[in-house]
Amino acid sequence: MNASQSTTSSTKTPSTVRIKVKRQDRPDTDPYWQPFDVPFVANANIISCLQQIASKPVTADGRRVAPVAWDCNCLEEVCGACTMVINGVARQSCSTLLHELVSDGTGTTDEPIVLEPMSKFPVLRDLFVDRSRMFNNLKAIKGWVPIDGTTSLGSGPKEDQASQDMRYALSRCMTCGCCLEACPQFTFDNDFVGAQVIGQALYFNMHETGAELKDDRLEAMEAPGGIADCGNAQNCVKVCPKELPLTEAIASVGRQTTVHAIKSFFTGK
Amino acid sequence: MCIRVYVPSHAGPAIVSQPEPKSPDIGFMDRHHFLLRRLHSLSGIVPVGVFVIMHLFTNAQMMWGQDETGESTFQHEVDFIHATPALLFVEIALWGAIAFHAGLGVLYMTGIVPNVMKYRNLDNWRYTLQRVTAWVALVFIFVHIATLRWRWSMFGWFTPFYARVDAETGWTHGGEAMALPLTAYALQYSWLVVVFYAVGVLSVVFHWANGLWTAAITWGVTISKGAQRRWGFMCAGLGVALTAFFLAAMVGALKYDLDSDMTERQQKALDKVVPTWRGDAPDSSNE
Repeated sequence: MNASQSTTSSTKTPSTVRIKVKRQDRPDTDPYWQPFDVPFVANANIISCLQQIASKPVTADGRRVAPVAWDCNCLEEVCGACTMVINGVARQSCSTLLHELVSDGTGTTDEPIVLEPMSKFPVLRDLFVDRSRMFNNLKAIKGWVPIDGTTSLGSGPKEDQASQDMRYALSRCMTCGCCLEACPQFTFDNDFVGAQVIGQALYFNMHETGAELKDDRLEAMEAPGGIADCGNAQNCVKVCPKELPLTEAIASVGRQTTVHAIKSFFTGK
Repeated sequence: MCIRVYVPSHAGPAIVSQPEPKSPDIGFMDRHHFLLRRLHSLSGIVPVGVFVIMHLFTNAQMMWGQDETGESTFQHEVDFIHATPALLFVEIALWGAIAFHAGLGVLYMTGIVPNVMKYRNLDNWRYTLQRVTAWVALVFIFVHIATLRWRWSMFGWFTPFYARVDAETGWTHGGEAMALPLTAYALQYSWLVVVFYAVGVLSVVFHWANGLWTAAITWGVTISKGAQRRWGFMCAGLGVALTAFFLAAMVGALKYDLDSDMTERQQKALDKVVPTWRGDAPDSSNE
């Protein structure tokens, strides 16, 4: 009876957790796997596990290795920097709590937690990827409000509540890359821009002043890699940690490009 | 927005192996990227998809069998289609539309990374199935047209389709009503044909119904989640209806008894176009 009780309690709160990390020393070298054991701390997040590894970079089989590199900044799921693939799913390592992964009702602690860098972006080192493709794509669609000039533009335009609600939701994008990692159409080396940029195109097209660049944005959306490459798998909206209405944004920009393309077909722009 | 890429000094220079996005212009496909994508969507709906509805509805008439002279509602529909002026040009346009849709579709499928085993959800299954059924439908439609319409003998499988065949001369532009017997003969050729048609037609129906659902998003018709859900019910309804038409056609073709249901003149006409039918036909369901 005692034995069974102790088994039960050890299943629920293990003393250590096995973490398997996909490592890569340089951008141009091959990846490899290393297991680490870290102490189980209730409410710890994945980043604190990585800090544990950094403080004692010894693998589960006792080899001393270089500490695991990763990217992070805000630690409160608003910057997007610490996105990685955790147990096969793209999410932020700051808001992924250890106990969710260890005792998620199944009670299995034998399964290691698997950490991988996002597969759709070039790896710089270990779990640290280069997400500049997303920022370049934002530049391509002119993801800003054009207010530069030498004269006063006066007060900003008024905005109705419904538009404000939609734009607020779209403004929460933190360029983390989860939607792109989960997208079957967005690959490592194609030119699809993915849900992130399509959402931001709508965000700036809906702004009264930002709409001055609407035609430019829609032309970028009609270019190779633009909205037409969406395959409607709708994974983006399901993995988005900020719950952006991405599929509705894609449909909206789809309508805008349809109208824009028909107009320019008949008027020649 | 400030872009900072922190590269640990011991990691060496950041070699970004990814190609630069957006090279300005390359060729015809890139210059007309959006137009071609939208024509791909449109070609699936209007020539191909609408034809599939008509085709399956026509086939469903086989369920009613034939009268003592060999005439049937199915034959009536087939005669109506065959009376279309310049039918061959309509057919060529249709084959062209299918080839256009299939060719671009295959091109657009290159390089994609389906991930339904990682991101398991209904929409991702739909996405994956849309691409699987595309390949199945492509093979099925090719074999279907090649055997029945082009009357190729594939691997000894010879099941030509003619609307009417003259019992005396074998002339294939008039005479006995042969649409139903020849379709029944084709499907009763082997149980493998029945399986092939079931898989093929259901793939086509799924691809068409799901394609109609996603096209509404692509073109910006259904924007809100509610609209997408409601249109989803409509498309699912279409899929169920087309499946029912297919089942009716299948029942009609399989219950038709080549030995006892054909008139004597129909038997003579069948002798003219498929002299071997008596030896081949009882293969599956007539025993």
